[in-house]
Amino acid sequence: MDVFAQAIGFVLQWQNLAALAGGTFFGIIIGVLPGLGPSAGMALSIPLVMSWHPATALIFMGALYKSSNYGGSLTAILVNTPGDASNAATILDGYPMCQRGMGGVALGISATAALVGGTIGMICLIFAAPFFADFALEFGPAEYFLTAVLALSLIAAVVQGATIKGLIAAGLGLLLSTVGFDVIAGHLRYTFDWAPVEDGIPLIQALVGLFAVTQALVLAESAASISRLAELSGSFWEGARTYFRHPAIMVRSSLLGLFVGILPGVGQSSAGLLAWADAKRVSKHPETFGKGEPVGVLASETATNACMPGDLVCTIALGLPGSVGAAVFLGVMIIFGVVPGPLVFTNKPEVIYSLFAALFLTSFLIFIIGMTLARRLAVVTLLPNNLIVPLILVVSLLGSFAIRNEMYDVIISLAFGALGYVMLKGGFTPIPLLLGLVLGEMVETNYHRALLISGGSYSIFYASVICKVLVLLTILSLVGPYLGPFWKTLTQGEK
Amino acid sequence: MKEKLKSTEVWFKIVLLFVFSGFFILAIPYPQESRQFPQLLAAISLILTVAALAIDFLRAQVIAGEIGDVDDTELKVVDMATRMARRLRFHRAWAILLVSTGAGFLGGFLFSTVLLFGGFGLVFGQRENLVKNMTVAVVMTVLVYFVFGRIMAVPMVNGVLW
Repeated sequence: MDVFAQAIGFVLQWQNLAALAGGTFFGIIIGVLPGLGPSAGMALSIPLVMSWHPATALIFMGALYKSSNYGGSLTAILVNTPGDASNAATILDGYPMCQRGMGGVALGISATAALVGGTIGMICLIFAAPFFADFALEFGPAEYFLTAVLALSLIAAVVQGATIKGLIAAGLGLLLSTVGFDVIAGHLRYTFDWAPVEDGIPLIQALVGLFAVTQALVLAESAASISRLAELSGSFWEGARTYFRHPAIMVRSSLLGLFVGILPGVGQSSAGLLAWADAKRVSKHPETFGKGEPVGVLASETATNACMPGDLVCTIALGLPGSVGAAVFLGVMIIFGVVPGPLVFTNKPEVIYSLFAALFLTSFLIFIIGMTLARRLAVVTLLPNNLIVPLILVVSLLGSFAIRNEMYDVIISLAFGALGYVMLKGGFTPIPLLLGLVLGEMVETNYHRALLISGGSYSIFYASVICKVLVLLTILSLVGPYLGPFWKTLTQGEK
Repeated sequence: MKEKLKSTEVWFKIVLLFVFSGFFILAIPYPQESRQFPQLLAAISLILTVAALAIDFLRAQVIAGEIGDVDDTELKVVDMATRMARRLRFHRAWAILLVSTGAGFLGGFLFSTVLLFGGFGLVFGQRENLVKNMTVAVVMTVLVYFVFGRIMAVPMVNGVLW
């Protein structure tokens, strides 16, 4: 607890408080804009915070990641458009509440859910992550290699019904990570004598391209501004009071969100929908759900806010991202020299506990901002795309350029932007590619180390119990998406 | 068969076949430790791509869907008219991007900034708002120059011309 108290002291320094407030505010703005999720927001911010202290930069990024979910709930309630997929369940009752003149109440519930769900989730993260990390200290090169393979296969499987495409994208990412100096023999690979990629494909430029540039191109395709705001009436504080009148749903939804968050590969959108369905199931008036029932907003928002810290448990302790946003956050941590995994609590305790403390405080800040500025923030959705798109492009490409003051870096970002765009149009998501690029060096190093230990025998990859479990989980993650439909066909056939 | 070859997904997979083959072939002259990992990856990726293509061609029809957002993972089917309109806007956006990057090479990133804001305002903004859009472009460029060029000391006017 001493470390955590020190971390809170560190976060309360003025520059870290400013980073926390800036990250929270920017995250809400990013969340408010439909089409710009936490991934694009983090990619957009990396260049701006590159020169900061790693702990301060991660405080900014963590706050951004956490608060973007709340921003998405504003547009879900006011505009009937979720800022992010995680707010999909909030629409079901949030917008009908707004239409019934209870928009303020819904926003109050959403802000209180960010506070309560986020706080419960953070308490779990603070206690569970070191426990997971202690367990992972048993890991050797083979286990690390298999953990990375499991992470890649889980993220690949997230692409619904298209595991093969996810794996292909992950393979491309891993292959791109081999460009430049070989980590084992120091040999130059696939550079074609082009100096800017001799040290490998720069991660920041690739991240900016895959997320910010690709998203800007997607936004450029859709005309006009994002939305028209609905009229807002009803008291925010009435929303907060309504929230605390349902303690049982509050606890149920928090625990459900946490559980879904810890499960790798299941995102916040599932948490929100599951909690909404659960609240409807146990309600005495299930017929009111979907027609502006405050408990529906309460359940979905509490679960999504509790889900994000749960998501970070495996990401930080094992280097195993549980969702799309967590995969990008993993990349961001590596960019700032904080390599997630069991040793991170020994090597960088001040950074990790500062991040935890910051995420803890972010919940309170979101509540304060939500109760005071929610309506004004949603006005951002009225900005036309012809202003938002160049703004995203200028800020992201300028950040890419400013790292080495080289226009070649802009070209690398544009190339990844084009790749990300073509992938999207071809039904591929760029997330596994990014994860392959991020984990590539670690995967290759541990692959060679494991083979060196075993004298070249591949049996080392299934020698220990942990290896066997990891291999089993990898196989399950790959065949899992096909088992459901197969089982359904089988049982229907019997009938 | 012809319909399937029109799909972006199928074309992308065919291109990937060449990319993965390239990674495999280019690694042949590398030392054993340097080539082992990329060749293993390229071989696995190649097999998966062939399998994915085979599924596409064996399936009755290819789903003409696309993912609409980088944070999304769900395929959405878009009608042809919407797709054509989007494609036009996409080509225009790329034209602005390429011209602004070229200008950045020649005169520095400040020129890219002007052309990005001005270009998007001109091509994507409504005609009746032209003056307003151009004013916004100039104001944003000055703002970007002040924040990045003056405060953060990023060389905004370093190009090959000077």
